[in-house]
Order: sequence, then structure tokens, then C-alpha cells
Amino acid sequence: MAPDISVPADAEQADRDRTDTESQTATDADVVIRGENVIKEYQTGTQTVRALKGIDFGIRPSDFVAIVGPSGSGKSTLLNLLGLLDVPTEGTVRLRGTDVSTFSDSDRTTKRKHTIGFIFQSFYLIPTLTALENVEMPRMLDKTPVKTRERATDLLQRVGLGDRLDHYPDELSGGQKQRVAIARSLINDPAILLADEPTGNLDRDTGDQILALFDELRAEEDVAVVTVTHDSYVADRADRVVNLVDGDVKNDGEPASGEGDHS
Amino acid sequence: MNRLRRLAAQFPTVLLARRNLSRATARSTLAIVAIVIGVVAIGTIGAGGEAFKQDQMKAYQGFGGTATVSPVYYADDSGSFSDGFSDTDINRMRQVTDGATVLPVVERWDGAVRTPAGETIITAQIKGLDDPGTFYETKSGSIPDNWRRSVVIGSRVAENNDIDTGDQLTVVANGSFAGTYQVAAVLEAQGFADQLQADRAVFVPMNQFEDAAYDRVIVSVDSRTGSVEEASESLETEFNARQRNIAVSEVQEQREQFKQLFDTINKFLIGVGSISLLVAAVTIANTMLMSAIEREREIGVMRAVGYPKLAVVSLLVSEAAILGLIGALIGIPFALGIGMGLNQLLVGDPLAFTTAGLQYIGVGAIFGIGTSLLAGVYPAWKAASKQPVEALD
Repeated sequence: MAPDISVPADAEQADRDRTDTESQTATDADVVIRGENVIKEYQTGTQTVRALKGIDFGIRPSDFVAIVGPSGSGKSTLLNLLGLLDVPTEGTVRLRGTDVSTFSDSDRTTKRKHTIGFIFQSFYLIPTLTALENVEMPRMLDKTPVKTRERATDLLQRVGLGDRLDHYPDELSGGQKQRVAIARSLINDPAILLADEPTGNLDRDTGDQILALFDELRAEEDVAVVTVTHDSYVADRADRVVNLVDGDVKNDGEPASGEGDHS
Repeated sequence: MNRLRRLAAQFPTVLLARRNLSRATARSTLAIVAIVIGVVAIGTIGAGGEAFKQDQMKAYQGFGGTATVSPVYYADDSGSFSDGFSDTDINRMRQVTDGATVLPVVERWDGAVRTPAGETIITAQIKGLDDPGTFYETKSGSIPDNWRRSVVIGSRVAENNDIDTGDQLTVVANGSFAGTYQVAAVLEAQGFADQLQADRAVFVPMNQFEDAAYDRVIVSVDSRTGSVEEASESLETEFNARQRNIAVSEVQEQREQFKQLFDTINKFLIGVGSISLLVAAVTIANTMLMSAIEREREIGVMRAVGYPKLAVVSLLVSEAAILGLIGALIGIPFALGIGMGLNQLLVGDPLAFTTAGLQYIGVGAIFGIGTSLLAGVYPAWKAASKQPVEALD
């Protein structure tokens, strides 16, 4: 019985290997994160909810991608996959060519630290730390306090908060908090910034400043920005808009998936 | 960056932990109070118990190397000394113990002691002894050099019946003597461990007893020149060759027994005190659980930005440890203070801490910190194990 199925199995394996090699040589050279036929399912009670129904994506340096869609469409799920906070149920997500499902939990933690910057809608600053310490936080355990402090100070100056270093979060306005959160997301020189409703809690002027800051970061540091947003104003400024509906990408005339857009 | 900040930056976990604790001051304070109570309970019970033991042990100091010898009584009167020891027996004892002091004691249970007012003191025991000054210090009065016509009484006899030196006591020992004697001295309190129960005794000079049959013998050896064990062995060989005629009990032995008994009681009490630390542990665990739940998102953020699970665990455990450390640091002076009070009360010197007493306070402090650490582990592990994606939802 064994010889019967071993041959086709090997052939299939070889086939897949070849495909992988091709896609890597062809497009993966500068793609930071790529997803192929990504399916994500959740178990809620006895029901299985399929949040993502097999989508493809690819993020390159200095991209600005907006993910839009009604709530429950899988936006957050996609963001979690991009942020290595989760792994797909089926399909593959590759970080610089390596399948993330091969990473252990601690590997993913390390990769997150060095590749991904997170900006949360509610900022999630630590209230007991000053603006400067909040920015330093991701690197606090690195035993390079002097370097970290220089970098954090530099980042805060860059987001226009050079005079607020020692202020605690409750002494800062919403926009200032968001800028501290952005500075924090940049402390480890990430390749991708993941922003969940970055302007959701801000007025239009402050939102403009944040978006301008994103443009600046993309231009100067080649940082890719992926944002989930309800705000069409933010989506209008993006290079690409991914419109998610019920876990699928709907192409509304705009190029939706990363694949088609860049090849 | 000033120096303090640079130092703090060297221990970022501790810095973060301390800041977090300052967030819920009232809760942290309550957790610390719980630890303080536990540390003080263990430390004080331990140190106080040691002081009590020290106080009781003082009673044995006069009996450095002594043993008491009593006749063994058999139901059929077959014991060789059922009528007590004679002068000949005493001389034999002197010979075999070679240089030890052999003091015969007469104990009369059939006598009566009456106060100057004529009341009978039923609890008083009449004892004949050559010189009580060999073992006991006097609280008032003094024992005359040539003690022949007065009595010396124990502290309980004096206190309970309001008798003092100079008073006249009527002492009757059936078949031996009856007369009125002046109280020459009152002895210091000896405690219940005293081998002659001196507190309840009325000591009468030996010459008052006509028939010299001794009920008990105290053998005292200068511990610098001989050992009481050797003396006891010689006595047993001499008198117990064919059957057991005498019972020899070394004071040292009694002392050890008492000490063991007391150590057991002390351990039990400390066990009771430890319950308060157990309660403190529950408080700490509860504090940390609540804190972890409140900060779920924040911990999720830390995990998301690259804090390994272990870093989150050590952060939360550090918080618990800081609570324990502060509790212990506050608890130690309290325990020392109460211990000093007990020392003053029982031993008469506030600084009379024994090594063991101080160790108990140390153990209390270490247990306080240890319990906090342990209590912090579960909440920490629980918080750190939560997937950041769940925590951030």
C-alpha cells in the first residue's frame, strides 16, 4: 500500500516546492509579508465562524494600504494575521519568505518586536509611564537604556512632542497620545506599521497631522503602513484600498489584492 | 538623565512594577498590611516564646550538674529503701560518686504548717534540707550560717499567705517535731520546673528531724571537674545491681525534656501565626489577579510589542515581591518592638533576644516575601498566557 501513494505524494511535494521557489524569486524579494489563500476560522461555542474566506495579500515597503469594510467583515482578523498575533487556519502567511506557522510563540514575539509596529485605536499607553517611558517601553528590557532613550527622545521630537517628554498620558490630549503611540510603534524600526483606526478618536486637523506623519515615515524610512479604517478620508489617501465584505475581498474597481496591484 | 533614573533603567522590570503598584495605592497598602500582620505574628510569637523559654530555663541554672535520687517503691514493699535512705546509704552514695555533693532531703506529707493566725496552709510541703542556700537565692531575709532553729519558705507560700521574714510559723511533723519557728528567709520564685518544688515548700533544718530517713537525695557535681552522668551511672551500678532500688533523674534530662516540650509548643504557636501569612497570600493573589484583569489590554499591548511571556510573568511577580518586601521591612521593626516588650516583661531586659528569637523574626520576614512571590506566580502566569489578540479584543 505504501509504494502506491508515495509516488504521487512526492510529486505533489516537488510541485509545491517548485511553486514556492518561483514565487519567491519572482516577487518575494522585497515583499515584507505575504498571504496566500488565507483562511481564518474561529470557534464560538459550537459554531465555527469563518472570518477570512481565502484571501491573498502582500505588503511591500512604503505601501499605504487601507482595509475598509463593515464591522464583522474580518478587518481585525486580517490585521492580527499581519501583526503575527495570530496564525491562519489554512493557507500561508509568509514573513520575508518564511511561513509564520513554523514559528513558535516566542519566535513570533521576537519577529513582532523587530518587524511590526502597532498603533491601537485607544492608544493603550501605560498610564504610570511618562510619554518618553511609554515610547521606550518595547525596548525597556534590552539593557541599552542610553541608546533607547536617545531614540525615544528623537522620535518624540519628530512627532512634535519634544516638549512633552515627561508628561504622563493623562496630561496629554488625544492627538498627543496618538503621536506618543506612533512614536512607540517606531522605536524598533519596524518594516510595517499596523494602525487600527488611527484617526478614529481624533478630530480632522489632528487626523491630518497623523496622516502627514505616515507619509513622512513612508518616504523617509520606507515603512509600510496598513490601516483599518471606517474613515473614507483616510482610505482616499491610501495607495490601495482592500474592501473586505464577509471575509472576502470585494474589488470595487480599485485594485484590491496586493498580488494584482504590484505585478 | 540623572543618576537615579539611570539606576532605575538598569532594572526596568522593577521600575515598571513599582509604578504599577503606585496606581492602586489603597489596594497595595492593604496587601502590604496583610503581610505585615503575618510577619509580626510569626516573629513575635517566635521571639516571645523564646523569651518565655529563657525565663523558665533560668530556674535550672542552679542545677548545672545535678541529679535527684529517689527510692523505688514496689507494691509488696520489696524495695530496699521503702522506708527512705539512711545515713549509711548516704555515705555509700558519697563514696561511689567520689567528690560529688550528696544532699539528703526529707519530704514530709503528714505534717502541717500553720500561719501566725493559726490557719493551716494545706498546700505547703515540709522539707528537711541542710542548706537551701546551695541551690536557691533568697528574695528577702537570709539563711543563717549555722541554720538550726528557723525556717525558710518558698515564694508561693509567702505570697499566698502574706507571710514575710520575721513572722512565726507553727510546723508540726508527726513523730518528729512540733514547734514554732521564725521565718529566716523567703526564696526567689523558681517556677514549676524546680526539682524540689521550692515555691510551695517550707524548709526546716535537717537536725529537727529525729529519725534520719531521707526521702530523696540530690547529687550535685561540679561540671568543671566531673560529670553528673558518671555519678548517676556509679549510683545505678551500686544500688540497682540485683533489682531496681533507686531512680536517678538528671536535671539536665528534665531540662531537655522541658525544652523539647516548649519547642513543640512554640512550633505549634508559630504554625497558628503562619495562618495569618496564608491569609496574606490569598490577599496578595487576589490583588494581583484583579490588577492583572484590569490591565489585561495593557499586558496585551506589551505582548504585542514584543515582550516575551516570561517578561510579563517576572513583571507581575516582581510586583507581588515588592509588596512582600515592603511588608517584611515594615513588619521586622514591629516584631522587634513587641519582642523587646516581651523580653522586658519576662526576662527583664529588652535586648535579651536569643539567636533563635531573632531567627524567628528573620524566618517571618523571609516567609512574608516568599509567600508573596508564590501568590504572585499564578496571576502572573494567567495574565501572560493570554493571547494578545484575545486581550486586545
